[in-house]
Amino acid sequence: MIHIFDGAMGTMLQAGGLKPGGCPELMNIEHPEVVRDIHRAYIEAGATIIETNTFGASRLKLDHYGLENRVQELNAAAVRIAREAAKGQVKIAGSMGPTGRFISPLGDLDFEEAYDCFQEQASALANAGVDFFIIETCIDIQEMRAALLAAKDAAPDIPVICQLTYSDDGRTVTGTDPQSAAIILSAMGADIIGVNCSLGPEQLVPIVKTLSENCSCPISVQPNAGMPQLVDGETHFPMGPEDFGSWGPKLLAAGATYLGGCCGTTPAHIRALAAALAGCAEPKRTARPQRLWLASRSKSVCIDQALPTVLIGERINPTGRKKLAAEIREGSLLSVKKEAVNQVKAGAQLLDVNMGVAGIDAVNAMKQAVTEIAQLTDAPLAIDTSDAAALEAGLRAYPGRALINSVSAEDARIRDFLPLAKKYGAAILCLPITEDGVPKTAEARLKTVQFIIGKAKEAGLKDGDFLLDALVMTVSADKDACREVLRTLQLYRQHLGYPATMGLSNISFGLPNRPLINSTFFAMCLAAGLDAPIMNPYDESMQKALKASAALLGDDPCGLAFSQDESNLAVPRKAAVMKTTDLPILDAIKQAVIEGEKDIIVGLVIQALQEGKTGNEITENGLTAAMTEIGEDFGSGRMFLPQVLLSAETMRAAFDKLKELIPASANADKGTFVIATVKGDVHDLGKNITGALLANSGFKVIDLGKDVDADTIVRAAKEHQADIVGLAALMTTTMPQIDKVIAKLREENVKARVMIGGAAVTQDYADACGADAYAADGVKAVKLAKQMVGAE
Amino acid sequence: MPVYNAPLLKIDPKETRRYAGLMRAKNFDETRIEDACQDARLLARPQGIWQLYDYDCEKQTVLSDPPFRIEGTKIGRHLAGCDKVILLAVTVGDDIEEMVTKRFADGEYTSSVLLDAAATTAVEQLADGLERAIKPKVAAQGYSMRWRFSPGYGDWPLEQQPELIRLTHCETIGISLSEAKMLVPRKSVTAIIGLYKEEKTTSPRENKHDAKGCAACSKHDCPARKQEEAAAAESEQKA
Repeated sequence: MIHIFDGAMGTMLQAGGLKPGGCPELMNIEHPEVVRDIHRAYIEAGATIIETNTFGASRLKLDHYGLENRVQELNAAAVRIAREAAKGQVKIAGSMGPTGRFISPLGDLDFEEAYDCFQEQASALANAGVDFFIIETCIDIQEMRAALLAAKDAAPDIPVICQLTYSDDGRTVTGTDPQSAAIILSAMGADIIGVNCSLGPEQLVPIVKTLSENCSCPISVQPNAGMPQLVDGETHFPMGPEDFGSWGPKLLAAGATYLGGCCGTTPAHIRALAAALAGCAEPKRTARPQRLWLASRSKSVCIDQALPTVLIGERINPTGRKKLAAEIREGSLLSVKKEAVNQVKAGAQLLDVNMGVAGIDAVNAMKQAVTEIAQLTDAPLAIDTSDAAALEAGLRAYPGRALINSVSAEDARIRDFLPLAKKYGAAILCLPITEDGVPKTAEARLKTVQFIIGKAKEAGLKDGDFLLDALVMTVSADKDACREVLRTLQLYRQHLGYPATMGLSNISFGLPNRPLINSTFFAMCLAAGLDAPIMNPYDESMQKALKASAALLGDDPCGLAFSQDESNLAVPRKAAVMKTTDLPILDAIKQAVIEGEKDIIVGLVIQALQEGKTGNEITENGLTAAMTEIGEDFGSGRMFLPQVLLSAETMRAAFDKLKELIPASANADKGTFVIATVKGDVHDLGKNITGALLANSGFKVIDLGKDVDADTIVRAAKEHQADIVGLAALMTTTMPQIDKVIAKLREENVKARVMIGGAAVTQDYADACGADAYAADGVKAVKLAKQMVGAE
Repeated sequence: MPVYNAPLLKIDPKETRRYAGLMRAKNFDETRIEDACQDARLLARPQGIWQLYDYDCEKQTVLSDPPFRIEGTKIGRHLAGCDKVILLAVTVGDDIEEMVTKRFADGEYTSSVLLDAAATTAVEQLADGLERAIKPKVAAQGYSMRWRFSPGYGDWPLEQQPELIRLTHCETIGISLSEAKMLVPRKSVTAIIGLYKEEKTTSPRENKHDAKGCAACSKHDCPARKQEEAAAAESEQKA
């Protein structure tokens, strides 16, 4: 059946007397006749569903008008007016708009506060008697999830229409694509999924199409009357009723059966839309195979036997990893985040999250981890816990569709986990374990998994919600362990057809050369029907086995990707370490410094000493010579600062070695350089670079740090009998401090020369403040310093 | 005060190269840049806040309570024709900065400088992300946005930074000002965005607003700028 919504409410209210800046929902009390007439106009135009005037009738929105305590009253009045207008002939949808704030961690609104706000409004609408809830114009999937959960909790029997708003790049402002939205919301039990506002009908056609291809719910669409333009200072929607209506059949063909209008549409638009759709047949949605899809806020991943293998990264798991466990116990998530990012980089498409550390607040730990990882990567997550409360916290916090790892046939899991999977729209990993332990044979495992699936379907889960674990035991303890796994995989495919997973590495426990056993086992399992291994994505032998298996099993047709990969491997990624063997040793040292070869410099220094070179020769003809050339290359734009710093690191390693072997050889003898960033200035990277380069060039550098006052600088200059005082200031607001220091130095009769630098400092400034020199960068500073002490 | 903390799913390695002064460098190990970008993502605590105000472009004054008169002729020209402004602040927090300092102290000069560049890229991306989140909200009211302008650009004095702190309420996301009017954490940005109605943009003045990035900046000896021009010249030569 084709359903027609009404069109815009706001502009109609303004035409009916709503003052700019006034609360639209207050019209329900103060001018109910205006609202009723708008409803009637839309009904007469052909709407079969009208929306209540409650878009902003939530506590957080009404708060702007000081009406936050009138949620019940304003919603009830709106429904009453709609019912009067409907006269039982059309349906009423209770409108719920966004709060206007972003949910944490994107914003400062707590998920539970948003949930409470929607729950209050949904209850008010339900009590007053609506046929649908329509949650619309949301730009954040997490806010939509809060509203949908609230609506389902407030009134489980009232169908919910969920409409997000997409920008012209086809995603919501917070990055959600329509495919992920359809997957997340349909799994959570949205009854109708759609899109409204922001774009015109033409731009919404592809979005409607994507939505309809990715769920089996009916699809709704409420476009604006074209893209907004400005005429005489007023926002204007250019599309006329006929033009608007003509898009109806196209939107219908794309899959939408609930159609209406948003900003800029009027009863005339709805009339034209209804007329254009009058003779149209409802499109047939092709029944899609129910595949297992998981989604993050901005990306969806499918696990299916017809698709390439999906790697599930297992590294976010403190079991048997003392350091990670200790860090989690201390409340730090840095290593967890690192594992998330690195695993994705290594090819993981799904991330397992296990925060199982004894004695911590498991609920909070899971919530924190899920929240942080979801901000950092777009790989969907598997929530790995045996604690129902921690599971719920993770599922609630996750702005996507997660996998639950895992549901066994044990009573507690069936009882506690399945309802959570249903409520939050998660998929489940079915683990063939009973109260009596692990079934030994493949047949018994199949039976156990069939039991879990039966229970899950009773709880409301469907095909496409299951990933089956074949359960790997240790082959050194049970000679049939591998064969049973392979047979289990085959039985799963044969009898159930759902995708299969497993943690692989257990197979080789207690055996030598585990990587060989693991990768061989992996290849066998891939052939037998493994779709999504849970594994260490950094493991090279496993990655190689996967690539080779893909070529062998036809997932990588004719081994094309494999061939390409192999030929890429033949070319080393990093530039080869320089060849120094052909050069005389001092030239080799010089070259190694210039090229920043930190790893080989120490070996070269030792070799030079063995060849009878003195420390002084190495310094002068190797290191200092290199620095001179680097300075020239930098000055002429052939070398750049980070490269100079690589050389500086290399040089430092060489000096350190020399100092260690011949303490007298590497004395800083060119002069003493006191360096500081002036008072008030906290930017010291540039000063640090200059200090490091000077130290490498034979100066004794006294670094006073940042935010240093004039007295301290003068005192240090005296105490160390500085030859040069270097002052850095980055900003115009801190530059005048340079003048103060110079004045103080002169006042106290300090003879040191003064060199200044920093982003805002110029030669003119240096001349004006009486400095002896201005250094534009660290390399220049070295050159100037050498001139000042007569070393060049 | 609306808050939006844009996620950092990626930090642009190209921009990081530019901020590190490597735009024209050949043979620089790309993995070092990638590592810096990744480390910055792990250490960043992205936060952002903004506020919408009415604006009197004749008097160059933000109509806050109390009002804020903006100094500087360039910023005045930039906001000509705007009747509303957004004031915003973003930060990546101070963990990155601490790591930059630590690495340098440990003698890892290069990775320190690269991390610093990645952090700069990150904070600019946060501001971009915040703009993207605001754009549909103001577009719904019929407004377009001028590009964002910060104290210290052109002749807008840094001395006005306290007013931006006041009007963005960025203390709630942990940004404060040192005595010398520097933002703390250092990797933070405050800025203003002018909002104008489309029709008014037909004035000949509009071209000035189109000058963006380096072209709009009066700091002609900036290293990043030289690179841009040189790189442009280089590619022209090749063509």
